[in-house]
Amino acid sequence: MSGAYVQDGVAPGTVVLERATRSFRVQVDTGRTLKETLLRRGARRAPAPAPTAEALRAGAPVGDHVFALRDVDLRIEPGETVALVGRNGAGKSSTLRVLAGIIPLDTGAVRVGGSVAALLDLAAGFSRDFSGRENIVMGGALYGLSREQVDERLDRIIEFSELGEFVDLPLKAYSSGMLVRLAFAIVAFLDVDVLLIDEVLAVGDGAFQRKCEARIAEQVESGATLVLVSHDLALIERTCRRTVLLEGGRVSTDGPTDEVLSAYRHRLEDATAPVRASTAPTPTADAPGGEA
Amino acid sequence: MSATSISRWSDLRGHGFLFQQLVQRELRQKYQGSVLGLVWYLINPLLLLGSYYLLFGLLLKPVSHEAYPLFVMTAMVVWLLVAQTLPAAGESLLAQAPLLRKSRFPRELVPTAVVSVQALTFLALLAIVTVVTVPIRGTLDPALLLLPVVAALVIALVQGMALALSVLHAHFRDVLPIISAILVPWFFITPIFYEPNDLALTAPDAPGWVVAALEWGNPVAPFVEATRSILYYGAVPAWDLWLYMVVAVVVALGVGRTVFRRLERDLAVML
Repeated sequence: MSGAYVQDGVAPGTVVLERATRSFRVQVDTGRTLKETLLRRGARRAPAPAPTAEALRAGAPVGDHVFALRDVDLRIEPGETVALVGRNGAGKSSTLRVLAGIIPLDTGAVRVGGSVAALLDLAAGFSRDFSGRENIVMGGALYGLSREQVDERLDRIIEFSELGEFVDLPLKAYSSGMLVRLAFAIVAFLDVDVLLIDEVLAVGDGAFQRKCEARIAEQVESGATLVLVSHDLALIERTCRRTVLLEGGRVSTDGPTDEVLSAYRHRLEDATAPVRASTAPTPTADAPGGEA
Repeated sequence: MSATSISRWSDLRGHGFLFQQLVQRELRQKYQGSVLGLVWYLINPLLLLGSYYLLFGLLLKPVSHEAYPLFVMTAMVVWLLVAQTLPAAGESLLAQAPLLRKSRFPRELVPTAVVSVQALTFLALLAIVTVVTVPIRGTLDPALLLLPVVAALVIALVQGMALALSVLHAHFRDVLPIISAILVPWFFITPIFYEPNDLALTAPDAPGWVVAALEWGNPVAPFVEATRSILYYGAVPAWDLWLYMVVAVVVALGVGRTVFRRLERDLAVML
């Protein structure tokens, strides 16, 4: 059981999910040892109670599996700007990782046209012992660029990141703001067909954030597709025309940003689970910068 | 199936620069900030070779072979490749976990980069041993032309093992400790300080199956013997050694790739 990840099956910039399903084993400790595996094999005979329809809708675990994506169909055309919103655990980040090809599907298919770059979490892929410059080169290589293509972009990336002389120091010496700028600069100058961005924008200072938004707009104008995951509703209103609301690993609402967001705000107000509501954005988070 | 293997190849082609970066990183990361840097890659094995020379070449001399230190070194080179690569490859995927979580690229590039770096060290050592051995033993024979073939087979064997071990260790963290534990006895049963024929002299009563097991039960042994045959004896390795080596390489690569394909799926999730 394994879903397909197909590149170049569709026009550059197109993103398609077909009946995409992905679940994760509930497992607190990923550092399995041989002994645990052997022991678990014997102990795993207890039948799990059948999940209720209610629990399924809410994205509750089925047996020892939690569904991150459940039978998701989604089609994004080249040049579209799409935001994924939803409560924590709704499947937003998993969707991005599936689109980036980092997490394979259980069943269904992903089709992505052209090149993809993902800005998932900040420190990902960075080596603290290497300089900013070396990390830029490795970053480019990771996304399949050649040496010439990296060299061509190096100066622009360094300039955009505003790292100055820090670019030749190891990342150990960087502040978290510098890491954000470096991470964003690399992805923003790859000139990919599909840009996947998860949250991180909120971390930089206001000025850099505006610069990032301008750069994204530039990329979109030249035909790139943007898929953004954020809790910053104001940012979404500025950057995305279309919004997809995910609930329990399914697409709950899909449409123009203003419509979906107002529905989402209502739903947040009606939310009956106050435990999680504290981490979800509030309807008043319209101020620039929103929740960080 | 053929469609996926084609896309795999284009995947690998498109990631030449990434592979180059991974190799460079592997070369530099280990000795980052050290004064001697890359030279350590040669110093470690050379020190080992030197101490074994002292111990077994000058002090102990278990069985008499002419130019015994060379007898030992010509075999030790091969062993060093195995002993240095397997642990390094075993932890490679864990070490590069941040890269695996960041982007989609052929995962086998990671252990392969480790093997490449170790293979370069191996070739450098092999060249040193050859330069020393050939004039002293006077074995400048046509057999020497076969040395690159044996070297390539050794590297291929190690590559197969490295693929399997790297992905297995990512799933079961016991694998690396098991490798470390096995390497010590493995070293002593590998015909480095002796050759299987010596057993007829030192242990004439040893049952035939013990001798056979020492010679054929250890996948590294035939590679060691073939290298020694060319460098030390100046002789073309026997046909059964060739047959064994080719079969061992095919099996190691086949099993290594199969295991890797089956277990690589969720690397980004579990690391």
